[in-house]
Amino acid sequence: MVMTAEEIIDVVRRKGVEKATREVDVVTTGTFGAMCSSGAFLNFGHSEPPIKMQKVWLNDVPAYTGLAAVDAYIGATEIRENGDMDYGGANVIEELIAGNPVHLKATAYGTDCYPRRKIETYVSLKTLNQAYLYNPRNAYQNYAVATNSSDMTLFTYMGKLLPNHGNATFCSAGQLSPLLNDPQCRTIGIGTRIFLGGAVGYVAWEGTQFSTKAPTKNGVPTRGSRTLAVIGDLREMSTDYVRALDFRRYGMSLAVGIGIPIPILDEQMMKCVSISDKDIFAPVLDYSVQSRSRKPLKEVSYAELKSGSIELFGKKVKTSSLSSYYKARQIAEKLKQSVQKGDFLLTEPIKRLPEDRTFNPLEIVSKEEVK
Amino acid sequence: MMAKRKYLLGFSPTRVREPITYRMVKEFDLMLNILRAEVSERGGRLLIEIEGKPSKITSGVKYLKEKGVDVKELNEYVSKDEERCTHCGMCVSICPADAFELDRKTYKVHFKSDKCIACGLCLDACPPDAMKLRIW
Repeated sequence: MVMTAEEIIDVVRRKGVEKATREVDVVTTGTFGAMCSSGAFLNFGHSEPPIKMQKVWLNDVPAYTGLAAVDAYIGATEIRENGDMDYGGANVIEELIAGNPVHLKATAYGTDCYPRRKIETYVSLKTLNQAYLYNPRNAYQNYAVATNSSDMTLFTYMGKLLPNHGNATFCSAGQLSPLLNDPQCRTIGIGTRIFLGGAVGYVAWEGTQFSTKAPTKNGVPTRGSRTLAVIGDLREMSTDYVRALDFRRYGMSLAVGIGIPIPILDEQMMKCVSISDKDIFAPVLDYSVQSRSRKPLKEVSYAELKSGSIELFGKKVKTSSLSSYYKARQIAEKLKQSVQKGDFLLTEPIKRLPEDRTFNPLEIVSKEEVK
Repeated sequence: MMAKRKYLLGFSPTRVREPITYRMVKEFDLMLNILRAEVSERGGRLLIEIEGKPSKITSGVKYLKEKGVDVKELNEYVSKDEERCTHCGMCVSICPADAFELDRKTYKVHFKSDKCIACGLCLDACPPDAMKLRIW
């Protein structure tokens, strides 16, 4: 039997871990949130005469092309060079998935083998040879809650933060989130087949900033902690599950839908997937403190966050999610049905993700001081 | 029975010095909440919510029209693009009038335009850009 990570909570409560383990084989998870560290590799094909692209723009958004002649990487948060902050790489990716034509401009210095110095044309998902999402950091295991103690509205990647703790925002599907259901990454590892943006994708590597050092409560980290690098074909994706996000006065980001099935190996695994929002905690950080080491104001549970308000300094503060629980549910449900029908096969990881990893800060040091 | 309606009033430059709205309030016993006001070269614009007996509101509006005010009844100041909305819920804590409701069964966000006070705070808060300004 297959169930979602939300449905299983009640089953375990009613039947107990032992019985649930015997009855349920797979539990599906889902998340749909802003994941800035996302982007796509594209291959344009060769023009006549050919060009070794040195600079590339897609709908006026710069892409990185310090690779072979016609390969490029379009990052989700890249914005137009004219300073327009409301259109970026995330929009280009969404337009490609939607099947829309995208304007391509490239310049080059010209070589004996690649004489062309400039090209302007249109490409689409049909003309591109390869177009795959490769996101270096997605599906954060947990994430801090943002609030603002200053007397000004702040525009951040955690959304619009109203003055004087006017609101608090969070970004996790909580009890449905993939890595919160497999906190030690026993089943999720390199090569794990996943739902990615509507397509079948894979875990490519540990995500950047992967850390195993976060404090835990009830067996799950109460900080960012683990992350995933994921890969999948843009051609199979849907704009229902990949969406450009515009954080005004911050920049662009990409909402990515990810779902991961978790095989119930044993009772321990069942215990993990039955975790509910009231047992998952996140720290509340004051984003008006412009420092990497903000002291948490307090820790709150996802049950409190999802209730609509939390208490801060004796005051009721309204909460908002940046992660769509509606979509997370849709993804977990879709994945459940695919696994049930046998359309989606589970995989054993080829290699486990790191069991001991520290997330280092960046220090400003001299050549002699650097470790 | 009291009713509540929203109107966008346009005043020609020659009318902006007359206390027309004040007279309407006095004469027809209406409660008025000013949501937005602006005076420019093209005249004045006033976005108001009127509360009162329906018949009095009708008479009040008639009075405004007689005074040469351009009156437009508004049902929506902003609108939510259902195709763009991902139901994340960012808008929920931004709106001072609680016009956005997160249904805790379906986890869908619903926009109640009758509660909207036209502040516009949601417009630059919505990450997928689903909230659009309809007027002003």
